[in-house]
Amino acid sequence: MTEPAEATSAEHNLKRLREEIERVDRAIVELVAERVRLGREIGAAKRAAGLPTLDPAREAAVVRRAGALAREAGLVDEEMRTLFWHLIGISRRAQVEE
Amino acid sequence: MIIVTRPDITDAELDHIRERVEAYGLRTHISRGEARVVVGCIGDEAHLSEAALRILPGVESVTPVQKPYKLAAREFAAEPSVIRVGDRAGATLGGRELVVIAGPCSVEGREMLEETARAVRAAGAGMLRGGAFKPRTSPYAFQGLGKIALRMLAEVRARTGLPVVTEVMDTRQVELVAEHADVLQVGARNMQNFALLSEVGRVQRPILLKRGLAATVRELLMAAEYVMAQGNRDVILCERGIRTYETATRNTLDVAAIPVLKAETHLPVIVDPSHAGGRADLVAPLAFAAVAAGADGLIVEVHPCPEQAVSDGDQSLTLPAFAELMRALRPFAAAAGRTLAPGEPDAVQEAA
Repeated sequence: MTEPAEATSAEHNLKRLREEIERVDRAIVELVAERVRLGREIGAAKRAAGLPTLDPAREAAVVRRAGALAREAGLVDEEMRTLFWHLIGISRRAQVEE
Repeated sequence: MIIVTRPDITDAELDHIRERVEAYGLRTHISRGEARVVVGCIGDEAHLSEAALRILPGVESVTPVQKPYKLAAREFAAEPSVIRVGDRAGATLGGRELVVIAGPCSVEGREMLEETARAVRAAGAGMLRGGAFKPRTSPYAFQGLGKIALRMLAEVRARTGLPVVTEVMDTRQVELVAEHADVLQVGARNMQNFALLSEVGRVQRPILLKRGLAATVRELLMAAEYVMAQGNRDVILCERGIRTYETATRNTLDVAAIPVLKAETHLPVIVDPSHAGGRADLVAPLAFAAVAAGADGLIVEVHPCPEQAVSDGDQSLTLPAFAELMRALRPFAAAAGRTLAPGEPDAVQEAA
């Protein structure tokens, strides 16, 4: 059995960790928004330079880099790749929208 | 296209191969086995050159895949898929273990659900089934208890430790069902509901996909491909009988589909002998045939009082009949090289 005092301390710790997660989630959303803003600017720059908006080779390189960074950080590269294909999709749609 | 590499390929070599493929707008899918790593390529292969890929460091062979399904194809996986269900104490489908999923057709109440769960667990079942949303042929038939049933399933899971599988019928229910269940079932009548398949592909829950009443093996695999294309690779296929000219049985169990599927796909294959025969007395012989043919598991309808069941009473086993089925199944499981979880004779007596 867990003593009441220990339970309170564990609950307190859990609450603190959840707040930390919430802070990280906010930062992630802000960073994704920033990435999309940059994507839009790149879209405009490409059009100004007369280049096509879609660049599969560039996307493949971005995903490769994210996978390699994930491994260095001790994460599963496959999951990071999935996340980045999704992020790229968001940016790509934002670029095309303009 | 499938690229098979040396098992000791480095991450950098693998990254290089994938980037070469993805630079043409395709996606790659990795499957790591003990003896090899398989890189599956998905997308328009018109610009991919087999010869150019074959000379990349680490590549052993490059093979085109002519089948319409890719992610579900046996060739795309280095080894057959083993799908883990539920928490630590959960079940694994697709390995050596033969998993038996049992429970009532519909969740009718908390007591009957818990009574059934404890009895089937005691007999060696690894998962609990129970319908919350019921696809009924008649709009006037019992349609299920919905959200109330989902809560009961989650409560009984917490009390018995049995992972729960329940059907989702509508795209609007997917998240709600995923909040309560360990495995989401797509029923036979929804096997080609592509909106629903896409939606369940987005949630990170294993999917139990039942073969449609008039669907071919290829159509079943294309339905699985739909789910997998959305990023959910945990699909369990279920043969549940197909409609033929025979009227002595409710459906005709396609036993041959089991070895055919096992050869065509890396996904686990289970069998529903209850719906296939439509009669309680056919459940055991069909279950034996399924296990002998290589099924990875069974899903069986069980009811504490079948004559009072609001749905599918004719094909439901009583609790003692289910325990007897499990006993009789053991030699068949052993002959097929499978292990079947031992029953816990005292579990029924445990305090709730």
